[in-house]
Amino acid sequence: MAETEADAAAAPAAAPGRLRNAFGGVLCAFTLILIGVLAFSIRLFSVIKYESVIHEFDPYFNYRVTQFLSKNGIYEFWNWFDDRTWYPLGRVIGGTVYPGLTLTAGSIWWLVNALNIPLSVETVCVFTAPIFSAFASWATYLLTKEAKGTGAGLMAAAILGMVPSYISRSVAGSYDNEAVAIFALVFTFYLYVKTLNTGSLFYATLNALSYFYMVCSWGGYTFIINLIPMHVLLCIVTGRYSSRLYIAYAPLVILGTLLAALVPVVGFNAVLTSEHFASFLVFIILHVVAFVSYIKGLLTPRLFKMAMTLVITIGMAVCFAVVAILVALVASSPTKGWSGRSLSLLDPTYASKYIPIIASVSEHQPPTWPSYFMDINVLAFLVPAGIISCFLPLSDASSFMVLYLVTAVYFSGVMVRLMLVLAPAACILSGIALSSAFDVLTRSMKFQLSKLFDDGSAISGNGSTEGSSASTVNTNSSKSENKTEKSEAAPKEKSSKKNRRKEKEVTESVPAKSKKEKRLSVLPLEASVIGTLLLIILGGFYVVHCVWAAAEAYSAPSIVLTSRSREGLHVFDDFREAYAWLSHNTDVDDKVASWWDYGYQTTAMANRTVIVDNNTWNNTHIATVGTAMSSPEKAAWEIFDSLDVKYVLVVFGGLVGYPSDDINKFLWMVRIGGGEFPHIKEPDYLRDGQYRVDAQATPTMLNCLMYKLCYYRFVETDGKGFDRVRGYEIGKKHFKLTHFEEVFTTHHWMVRIYKLKPQKNRIRAKLRKLKSGSKSSSTLAAGQKKNPWQ
Amino acid sequence: MCIKERKCRPALWAIVPFNGPIRSALRVHPTATGLLFYLSTLAPSSHSLPRPPVSSPDPAITMAISPHHLLLLLLAAAAASAGANNLVGELESLRSRSPSGVIHLTDTSVTRFLSSSTRPYSVLVFFDATSLHSKSDLHLPQLRREFALLSAAFQANNPASSDLFFADIEFSESQHSFSQFGVNSLPHVRLIRPHHSRLADSEHMDQSHFSRLADSMVDFVEARTGLQVGPITRPPLVSRNQIILLVLMFLASIPFVIKRILQGDTLLHDRRVWMAGALFVYFFSVSGGMYGIIRHTPMFITDRADPNKLVFFYQGSGMQLGAEGFAVGSLYTLVGLMIAVVTHLLVKVESLQTQRFAMVAVMIVGWWAVRKVIFLDNWKTGYSIHTFWPSSWR
Repeated sequence: MAETEADAAAAPAAAPGRLRNAFGGVLCAFTLILIGVLAFSIRLFSVIKYESVIHEFDPYFNYRVTQFLSKNGIYEFWNWFDDRTWYPLGRVIGGTVYPGLTLTAGSIWWLVNALNIPLSVETVCVFTAPIFSAFASWATYLLTKEAKGTGAGLMAAAILGMVPSYISRSVAGSYDNEAVAIFALVFTFYLYVKTLNTGSLFYATLNALSYFYMVCSWGGYTFIINLIPMHVLLCIVTGRYSSRLYIAYAPLVILGTLLAALVPVVGFNAVLTSEHFASFLVFIILHVVAFVSYIKGLLTPRLFKMAMTLVITIGMAVCFAVVAILVALVASSPTKGWSGRSLSLLDPTYASKYIPIIASVSEHQPPTWPSYFMDINVLAFLVPAGIISCFLPLSDASSFMVLYLVTAVYFSGVMVRLMLVLAPAACILSGIALSSAFDVLTRSMKFQLSKLFDDGSAISGNGSTEGSSASTVNTNSSKSENKTEKSEAAPKEKSSKKNRRKEKEVTESVPAKSKKEKRLSVLPLEASVIGTLLLIILGGFYVVHCVWAAAEAYSAPSIVLTSRSREGLHVFDDFREAYAWLSHNTDVDDKVASWWDYGYQTTAMANRTVIVDNNTWNNTHIATVGTAMSSPEKAAWEIFDSLDVKYVLVVFGGLVGYPSDDINKFLWMVRIGGGEFPHIKEPDYLRDGQYRVDAQATPTMLNCLMYKLCYYRFVETDGKGFDRVRGYEIGKKHFKLTHFEEVFTTHHWMVRIYKLKPQKNRIRAKLRKLKSGSKSSSTLAAGQKKNPWQ
Repeated sequence: MCIKERKCRPALWAIVPFNGPIRSALRVHPTATGLLFYLSTLAPSSHSLPRPPVSSPDPAITMAISPHHLLLLLLAAAAASAGANNLVGELESLRSRSPSGVIHLTDTSVTRFLSSSTRPYSVLVFFDATSLHSKSDLHLPQLRREFALLSAAFQANNPASSDLFFADIEFSESQHSFSQFGVNSLPHVRLIRPHHSRLADSEHMDQSHFSRLADSMVDFVEARTGLQVGPITRPPLVSRNQIILLVLMFLASIPFVIKRILQGDTLLHDRRVWMAGALFVYFFSVSGGMYGIIRHTPMFITDRADPNKLVFFYQGSGMQLGAEGFAVGSLYTLVGLMIAVVTHLLVKVESLQTQRFAMVAVMIVGWWAVRKVIFLDNWKTGYSIHTFWPSSWR
């Protein structure tokens, strides 16, 4: 990589230089294409090992929305009221989703079809994430190039193409918001840094548009709108204010906020919630500083000093007024205007103390050190070197990189999910570190080799030795000069006094530096060779780890499960079996109740109406289902009947040992249900503080609907009722269902579907008839036969 | 919670999983004067995480109580009887003497107020031991403060209520009462309802009710007694006057700070400060320091099989100890720093020999550190990372 950089950057003059430059450019473009191919293809393991299928839970919803969009068009999508979920409430889809992903995949589908390539919507959805990870690696190249040059850019792009943390969210089939959001995030940062380096309003506008795309795509946009103000503030505080900074920031806040408010799901939150206030505050400060520096240019130092006191007093007054308004606004809301998730980032212990529901989600746990090694692998070793490289010398762009890394690494420490945001930062800094290390090592190898060669030929003539070694060194120094020139030539505008001063400084410092470099910028030859080899081995280990992670750890679609045993591969396709049964054997308008995890899949795959789904917007509704699941059969039947439910679906892993089944999630049903309906008391289900379903289980537990639906007829499988997940025999083995009836159980018993018996009327009729006399008993028997559910 | 009588052997220690921040196992040594509490070790686990490989399901404890003590106490309990109304009046006057309304009980007052069979009131008792206040893992002082808050909240909400009283007992003063209640592990809170005839029958507050401190204690009290405790009011961290003073000082200092910033000679303008800060945040985060803060993990635990051995590295990827995180975090940072030193500092050294030696040292240490981390990671998580070669190459 460093060679490429040397090729690209070391341009002496005129024709040969231009040729070399062109060659460097072509090589660079070719490398970038290869990196894109790598990023795309490393994510295909899931398609090769399993099949081209949408993964997990949320992607099914996105897929369903995309289907709707491609079928009905954008306006229908915008106004879509979905009556298939949250029965009987429904959900306004158009106003509650981040539409970026859906619109992206929809347009790709439309474009491809317009070119007469007949791809299905599902295929487009499956491959959206890999495509966008190729884009993301190119965006990383651009961003790193702005900070540290082409070599570092290529290195960072290659690293990002296969970083496991990002792979985990963007394998083929993982059709979720993060897939496009990481690209948008990196690209927005690139445009910000580009604007900062050039001071061009064109890039500033593009930046706002890219920010708009990010807002459309993912709730994580708040990271951008807090990080960039932080950087601006940092620049101001450390005395790096320039008009370029103003151009980079002010349009972003104004245009960006206006555009963000256009996204229905954000709307007025863009100006009303605390997550956005930092940007407005910094906006004001920036204007005060800009005004001060403008005045400074107009006045003589003495006058300026006088004006300064005046400006400070006025500025402070204005600032305080605004701060007071902000504080009043913030204080008026109960959570101080912050959402629970943001608060738990600022105060890590917040969630565990006050919001158990957020603290319970596995991706909101704090990570341990192996998580870092799993997700960014050897980059963890390289990042500190990258940080130091960014400080030598410190530019606006490199300070932004450091700030990005530091905030991301802190947030990832609080929530393992945000490792995804850390990944690009870690890749960029590792790219910088590796590139500068290779730069130094290969440079010393080149220099020492030529010296060695010249020493050998020194017998023939001494003069040539000096000349050639000097020329090598010259190449080095000219290269470094060239580099500094390049990075400093970028700022176009000359009006700012400060800028001019800075440039002067640079021109002064360069000769001194190059003089120094002439004497000592190299390392011993053999050590450099070994060092290079070691770094290559380190990189090789990274590649091996990434391929392994992509192939083994992150490519399972979780809708199809496999297990490897001595007899060979075993496939569990129970979920699709059950959803297919539902779509073929039930009426289109039947309502299916299940725990919310399976809501999206049921609507997308079975096309049946569900009561709750993974968009957990209505806690009471979820609590109702939780209460029904934890109630005895009759009470549960009444709850479900009041919701028009016809089928109940439970996921049961006890037969095959699938651990994330409904019995293991049962504590949340009880907890959430009990939170809204106090007659469900968690201690009733606990024995010694634990959920148990064996002989020691409480009677409430053994009588609740979830237990009965999961373990109904379970004893018939092996005669003992041994639960392989919990690792013991169940407590109550033989029982009958009175209000529900089993209609379908999948091959491995992983999904069981029950139908609510239409019981109430029949029983009453039966009782009355029994009372009225024995002569009607024959008709009763006939009636029973007709009704298969009694 | 199961409480076992166990013969005391010095080599028997329990490692206890716990869900809340405060669960501990205590063991009592019979040979020491009085009762000595030994704190064993604690390791957090959550529902989703694998349990520690060596664990006993409950905090186990051993206590040596001679049977005739118990007999004496029972006799004393039977003998004690007094007019219920007098007792309520006495309790109320005792309560009014304490600022938070927590009554301090001793052996005699336990017999007097709690042993009589007819009581028209409930008492919530906090079992305290001054000698264990130094054990930071037990959080006794903190829980005692929370208990006082609970009492104060109840009093504020139900002034002059004589249904529920709050009391505490100190271990060294009232060892009898501790054995009477059958209390042999701390922290411990019991609720004695009017219908409890024997003290040992009274209800024990589960560990889970300590997890959210006073707020979860409220749940317990409200669930068991049916009384409304009311909102907990915590004293603010800094008082109103202090806040005003701080704000004034802050306002006064702003002009000076701005002046210095404009002059550009603050600590903020020193790059090295920023660099060190960035590196520290990085080091702290990658070593999982935040995990330690959120989960309150200890730096190390003692081995269950051998109490003299300390366990620094915990097997299983769901959980980590403080020391192992910082050890690996410093290895991460060390390698990075060495690479930076070679690329930015060593190139400026003039002597080739120095460079050579330094580089060899760096490479050896770096090789060792990376190997070590890979080995530790494979050991901890149990993953075996392997390559994928074309099958014809094998």
